[in-house]
Amino acid sequence: MSTASSDHTSDHAHAPQTEGHHEEGEVHVHVNSPLFMIAIFAALIVLTVVTVAVSYVDLGSANTFVAILVATMKASLVATFFMHLKGDKAIHSIIFIGAFVFLIIFVGLSNDDLATRGAVDVDNGAHRLERTGVVAPGGLQIPAAPAAPAGATTPAAGAAAPAEHH
Amino acid sequence: MATEVEHAADPHGGIDPNENYLLAGKGIWSWLSTLDHKRIGVMYLISVILAFFLGGMFALLIRLELLTPGRTIMGAATYNRVFTLHGAIMVFLFIIPSIPAAMGNFVLPIMLGAKDVAFPRLNLMSFYIYVIGAIFCLFSIVSGAVDTGWTFYTPYSTTSSSSVVSMTLGVFILGFSSILTGLNFIVTIHKLRAPGMHWRRLPLFVWGMYATSVIQVLATPVLAITLALLAMEKVLGLGIFDASLGGDPVLFQHFFWFYSHPAVYIMIVPGMAVVSELFATFSRRAVFGYFAIAMSSLGLALLGFLVWGHHMFTSGQSEFATMVFSGLTMLVAIPSGVKVFNWTATLYKGSIWLTTPMLYALSFLVLFTIGGLTGLFLGTLSVDIHLHDTYFVVAHFHYVMMGGTVMGFLGGLLYWWPKITGKLYNEPAAKVSWAFIFVGFNAVFIAQFIMGSRGMPRRYYDYVPEFRPYHAFSTYGSWVLAVGFFILAGVLVQSLLKGAKSPPNPWGSAGFEWNTSSPPIFSNFAETPVITRGPYDYHEATEEELFDGFPEDFKKTES
Amino acid sequence: MSSATTTEASHSPVEGGHGHGHGQHAPFLAHHFDTPAHQFDSAKLGMWIFIATEILMFGGLFVAYGLFRGQETEMFHQAHERLDKIMGAVNTVVLLFSSLTAALAVRQSQVGDRKGTTRWLIVTLLCACIFLVVKFFEYQHKFHDGLLPGHYFTAHLAEHAHNGHVLPYRAHMFFALYFMMTGLHGVHVLIGMGVLSWALKRNLDGKISSRYFTPIEIGALYWHLVDLVWIYLFPLLYLVG
Repeated sequence: MSTASSDHTSDHAHAPQTEGHHEEGEVHVHVNSPLFMIAIFAALIVLTVVTVAVSYVDLGSANTFVAILVATMKASLVATFFMHLKGDKAIHSIIFIGAFVFLIIFVGLSNDDLATRGAVDVDNGAHRLERTGVVAPGGLQIPAAPAAPAGATTPAAGAAAPAEHH
Repeated sequence: MATEVEHAADPHGGIDPNENYLLAGKGIWSWLSTLDHKRIGVMYLISVILAFFLGGMFALLIRLELLTPGRTIMGAATYNRVFTLHGAIMVFLFIIPSIPAAMGNFVLPIMLGAKDVAFPRLNLMSFYIYVIGAIFCLFSIVSGAVDTGWTFYTPYSTTSSSSVVSMTLGVFILGFSSILTGLNFIVTIHKLRAPGMHWRRLPLFVWGMYATSVIQVLATPVLAITLALLAMEKVLGLGIFDASLGGDPVLFQHFFWFYSHPAVYIMIVPGMAVVSELFATFSRRAVFGYFAIAMSSLGLALLGFLVWGHHMFTSGQSEFATMVFSGLTMLVAIPSGVKVFNWTATLYKGSIWLTTPMLYALSFLVLFTIGGLTGLFLGTLSVDIHLHDTYFVVAHFHYVMMGGTVMGFLGGLLYWWPKITGKLYNEPAAKVSWAFIFVGFNAVFIAQFIMGSRGMPRRYYDYVPEFRPYHAFSTYGSWVLAVGFFILAGVLVQSLLKGAKSPPNPWGSAGFEWNTSSPPIFSNFAETPVITRGPYDYHEATEEELFDGFPEDFKKTES
Repeated sequence: MSSATTTEASHSPVEGGHGHGHGQHAPFLAHHFDTPAHQFDSAKLGMWIFIATEILMFGGLFVAYGLFRGQETEMFHQAHERLDKIMGAVNTVVLLFSSLTAALAVRQSQVGDRKGTTRWLIVTLLCACIFLVVKFFEYQHKFHDGLLPGHYFTAHLAEHAHNGHVLPYRAHMFFALYFMMTGLHGVHVLIGMGVLSWALKRNLDGKISSRYFTPIEIGALYWHLVDLVWIYLFPLLYLVG
């Protein structure tokens, strides 16, 4: 690899390829002070207290929003400072955020199905056909007696409940 | 991860780094405990060829059973197990590890000018994880097999009495092998490029492996959790995929295809990666649209995550979602088209040399185009309602998977065979085997396109007499195909036993892997190479590089 | 610009060919890496990719949770009240603290303080044990109340009434997800403990220095991931249901 440095002069298009090479080849990291880390920990505790406190107040659907927002703030603190994403190579942040992007694709396109069943054709995905009143087989079955023993794949007989959800 | 540091004190384990890798270390144990990426690649190659043989036998049994309507050689229950095993073995044990794990392991570090992959111990571990997963799958076969189809759809898979749990466990384990290989390759490509090997000089094979690895790392964990949920569903009656417990069976299909559609690109992108190399070498010119081909691999990797719902058009998925997925599916045509047009343009005014690997590459071009274009029919919502779950679908994905990936695999196998084994093979005999495989393959699946478009459903044990000529034709084709594979096996065995010694660069390629000896030395290159040109820059390569050991009679016509 | 590679070769032992003037290789440096920084960056990149894999793996369960909760918001809300917020909050604090101590262990190894590294790693492992013990009592309580997944769910029966209320039978879905999510997380706690113990052993063996602290760094990265997952699990399961 002695040629890596001479490459600088002869070949200017190689920039990405040197990403692993520090000047002296030794590991260089930014060392945080313990006090700073404890401050981050304190912030995490404060956010935990906040999110627990908010859960006792009924804000309707905003509760979920606040919970996810606070959790994301906490996760960002951990990732940025404890996992040293700050000051680290950009590729690590790209990988980390990229994973969430693909997760959002997964949620988004699955929800695209589950949230729109019956939106175009009311019979689509319906348990009971509106026009004819025919009820499709299946649907939630509530076991009457104490739970069936292990191994049984269908719970003990019970009256088929009306369509609990579409 | 950083476990490989332990052998640092003695970096080569007492092995001379300049020794031929096949001879560096003797005995079976030196193979089973090797950390050398080339040996691990060879072990993968042997494993996937065994899996291909097993899956191929099941394929022949399916075709034989369908030769006549009604019972031909087996009962319906056995037939269900046979087609499931054909699919599961071919997908999980052969095609997913075929090009990435076997050829990628062997060729990728050499192409980068690296001594090994980034994490050699992890590499060996992922091979053993593959073996353990394969053992679980085989255990499932002997303990009653699986009759659900390779997709394990609920609710049938949760109620079927066949050994679904051990099969899903096997596939779960195989998934981790795939993840670890992908992880290893990404880090290798990022960190272990030789000086001068910048991103715009990466061979297209490496770009394809990079795209494949990204999919493996991001999609496979979802398969793992899906199969874990399925196994729990069977063991505990979890209910997430079971309508009678309040769950949603269609959700299983979402989960399954969120992995398995990207997995289709784990299968095809490596095939594309191999033929990109073949077209360049055997047209003796720079690949046309190098950067476009590289980026279209990444484009396929990304788009692969957006289109899974097109497997579910008739599953009870909402109409709105089917429309969205149908539209997104059409986008896949763009990167696929970019590749096909660029390969064709590479051939234009190239100095084409019709070796067997090149014949496979050209077969890929033709067959993949047919497979891709029929994919457009299936992606079109209204047409798919008619064609869904017919033999048209079967023919479509075999044209892509077998006409694409397997052709790429065979082309790559013959292309790199002299590099891997150091032996030349009998070119005329290999051409004969190619002819049998090409003709046989088309005979099997063109008949299936026709009967599929006429309504023959897939996976059926019995059929109406009208379909008999097509089924019979397809079965005869499968025998031609089988003969082709046996000839090829004979060619390779003959080469191993009696083949002439290969020169370092028998094809006169400008690719970097041909600049080391055949077979390569233990540490790949005696010194870390310094790359000063791209892998397809024939105009910048020296005569010595191109023709080091190139057959004399060809050299005259070439230069 | 002609010769692409220099292979046919001469002799020069492979090790001499590179190394930026380090005549002698560090004992921890594997043969295919050029420098300690090169090796460190590679290991770290590998760990980050693995973290992305883990995020997608847990992601599947979060997706299932989100979709079923969207359909059955009221039932999920009812069911989540049977979870113990206090125990969940205690475990959250324990894990956050263990994340701090893991980060401190990395810091001490970076400055070459071997004893400090050992100390903080042991504290981290102790926190992991506390987490699992609390989890054990939580699970025990759920088992007792019949709040179990699938066929084993009996909390809809009168004998398991809680403050005079029984849960609807459908609530078994919530507990199916609860046990899958916390169970998978628990498995990751165990794996994380394994990784940290391995790092601790290497530190005790004297393999760790300010030049080479990769095991501590990647072990801690994995441990932070375990913490990250819990940061989302806690509010979604215990607080808002």
